[in-house]
Amino acid sequence: MGAASYAVFRVANAIVILFLVILITAVIMNKYMEDTILAEIRERVANEVFRNPKYINLSPEEKQELAENLTQYYIRLRGLDQPYVIRVLYRAVDAMTLNFGNAQTIKSASGSTNVADIVLEALPRTVLLFTTGTIITIIVGILLGLKAATNVASLLDRAISTFAMFTYALPMWWVGMLFIFYFSYVFEIFPSGGMVSIPPPEDPVQYALDVMYHLALPLITFVFVNFGGWSYATRSIVLNVLTEDFVNTARAKGLPERKILYGHVLRSASPPIVTSTTLAILGSIGGAIITEAVFNWPGLGRLFYVAILNGDMPVVLGLTYISTFLYVFAVLILDFVYMILDPRVRVGIRR
Amino acid sequence: MYGMGIKDIIQEFFRFKSGLFGLFLLFIIVGMAVGAPIISSEEAGYRWYDIEYWTELDLPKGVPPQWVGLLTGVSYSPTERDVIYPEKNQFGFYQFNITYDFNYDVPPTNIIIRVYGNVSKRYLMTVDLIRPDGLVIERLVDKQTNNPEYRLSVKADDGARSRILSFAKEFESEVNINKVFGGGLEKVVNIIRIMFSQTGEGMMLEKTPVLKGKYTFQFTIYTTSPQDTINEIIFIVNGASYGVFGTDVLGRDIFVGIVWGARVALILGLVVAIVSVLIGVVYGTVSAYVGGWTDEILQRIQEFVISIPLLPLLLILAYTFQPTIWNLIILLIVFSWPGPVKTIRSMALQIREQLYITAAKAIGASTSRIVLRYILPQILPYTFALVAFSVPGAILTEAGVSFLLGAQGTLEITWGRILSDAERYSAVLTGMWWWVIPPGIMIAISGLAFVFIGTALDRVLNPRLLR
Repeated sequence: MGAASYAVFRVANAIVILFLVILITAVIMNKYMEDTILAEIRERVANEVFRNPKYINLSPEEKQELAENLTQYYIRLRGLDQPYVIRVLYRAVDAMTLNFGNAQTIKSASGSTNVADIVLEALPRTVLLFTTGTIITIIVGILLGLKAATNVASLLDRAISTFAMFTYALPMWWVGMLFIFYFSYVFEIFPSGGMVSIPPPEDPVQYALDVMYHLALPLITFVFVNFGGWSYATRSIVLNVLTEDFVNTARAKGLPERKILYGHVLRSASPPIVTSTTLAILGSIGGAIITEAVFNWPGLGRLFYVAILNGDMPVVLGLTYISTFLYVFAVLILDFVYMILDPRVRVGIRR
Repeated sequence: MYGMGIKDIIQEFFRFKSGLFGLFLLFIIVGMAVGAPIISSEEAGYRWYDIEYWTELDLPKGVPPQWVGLLTGVSYSPTERDVIYPEKNQFGFYQFNITYDFNYDVPPTNIIIRVYGNVSKRYLMTVDLIRPDGLVIERLVDKQTNNPEYRLSVKADDGARSRILSFAKEFESEVNINKVFGGGLEKVVNIIRIMFSQTGEGMMLEKTPVLKGKYTFQFTIYTTSPQDTINEIIFIVNGASYGVFGTDVLGRDIFVGIVWGARVALILGLVVAIVSVLIGVVYGTVSAYVGGWTDEILQRIQEFVISIPLLPLLLILAYTFQPTIWNLIILLIVFSWPGPVKTIRSMALQIREQLYITAAKAIGASTSRIVLRYILPQILPYTFALVAFSVPGAILTEAGVSFLLGAQGTLEITWGRILSDAERYSAVLTGMWWWVIPPGIMIAISGLAFVFIGTALDRVLNPRLLR
């Protein structure tokens, strides 16, 4: 298999996975979705028949009949008279083509009930919090990990390993609750939640500053919980590479330690680190639900939480699609990055 | 590398302090899970979500643990309970005193009087309070009822409220009186605090210091029908502190929840980790050994399952079917078995090339025999570490799901659901740390126990990490 056909294969694989996940979700939520659509149709028919001045002269029986016909028409139009399997496929195809319909209770800031609008409004907020957080975490984590790997068994090394173990077992959202308790309730340094003050500042600069002020606490929480694991993982990977023969050769050649570390070791260690980077971004999309709920951060995660609590199924389906899409997309990117970074994978492809 | 027996592993394991510490933590959690009915009440455990049960118990609401005074240096009044079996005097009255010795810095949060009797007609109950400064609040309670199981909460009683306020009014400044009666504070000021305060200006606004000493409650109960009897009076002082971990705003003993939560966490964590790792190991081994198209298909399936975002789907499923803990366990297994597959597969690929496997094949051993008897036993020891590392993930996921679903979640007591309640009643922003910290610490400890054990096992099995 050449690199190009490998790429095509991976993309096809990703699309199949995406479709299957959406299909499963559609199967689970089909009943809720159909109830929603039926309610929508009834509302629409009522508006078109009973509240329409055009039909004011019709007798109640005639109106009833007209309404019945219209309802049947819309049911056929939306495919609700089809067999179950076809209906579920309809739902899945609707989702795949970003046609999520309208939310039942949730609205976007501009008042739109279109699910795509609502989701797209929340997406950048999640990216703002978790992408920033992930980048900071990775930088801090890798730097500390390198430091620990080059000073094995030092105080720093031990401290990082212990800290990593502790944070591995901690729920991030619980740490968030504790931080809110200390920094908002006890010391009143940071706001306890939300993305902007109410009412939001008018001036754009003030607005940006206000968002950053609200961003601080969730960001600190995110970095605090995650950087330990990153340092520990980097340390283990780098230590493994340091035992390889080529490092000995480089040392024997008399290369400076800095050059060995950054030029040789880091390059060999990068594939697993890149894997972890991508996996971290994947993880942050899922784990964000609870953390955003705790910090009242109006991103995708909190939207999902609110949608589940309110039983707003169109929003739930839309969000499931988006988060699965992001996830599968990230796995795909991971594959390609791996292809570039790790010669063994390239060889494996041609095998 | 693949030759360590279980005995060697155990022997090596005990050389690591972190592993021993992990075992120690695990021991605590197991102790809680097994001993839950003994160290806390069995009924309370089963009726954790039954609010009526907790109302009946009359614990103080939203108070810190009893030991909190040790941290702050301020003494909190504990919760006390007094039971009286009164006798009628020669005039047909019940007359008795209950004294409460108040020697703390933080006064009680409420006083509850429960009266049990065989009554057919009305009976009258009055209570006068003699304070340590000699002042008397007359008719603190003045009630008529024919209820054979009467419960009176002084804090919630309008009569007691107006009596205490008019008592305090005599010592209060004009300005403050206007503040209270004109400013709508009349219904919300803490009358129990005023009852236990020194007289003077600011008394109504809870600004005067507390008054320590003996408080005497003089009871008089008169039954209108001579045959009626009052059998039992329970006098409850709801302190400003309670028990090991305090109570939540619904008056539930958080210690009970913590202890019983250990069962769910432990069972769920272990079952999910063991079963999903076992499935993953068998799956990976078969995939590697059989190879070819089977391997290809099995790998695609594994990739598919691992690509499903766990939490959203779990939430949708849990929302659709009210989950029991066993449903949740099954769902978690369905989504977490692919985790170890890749590692196990590459291990099995190496073992497959060993000479003794070829030999087994040559003498005609079946595929299942080779996989089960010759390959799996070689891999199994390494799965201990995998199991240990999978447990915290399962516990964290369960806590997260319970936290998000709240009342729609599982019906068992879980630490995640306790935190969910805490969030719902904004415990964090009202400073009720004892409702937030213990469940989280328990989640952390149970996860940590397995992280420590797993790390030690990992070091035994991969000596390269040892340096």
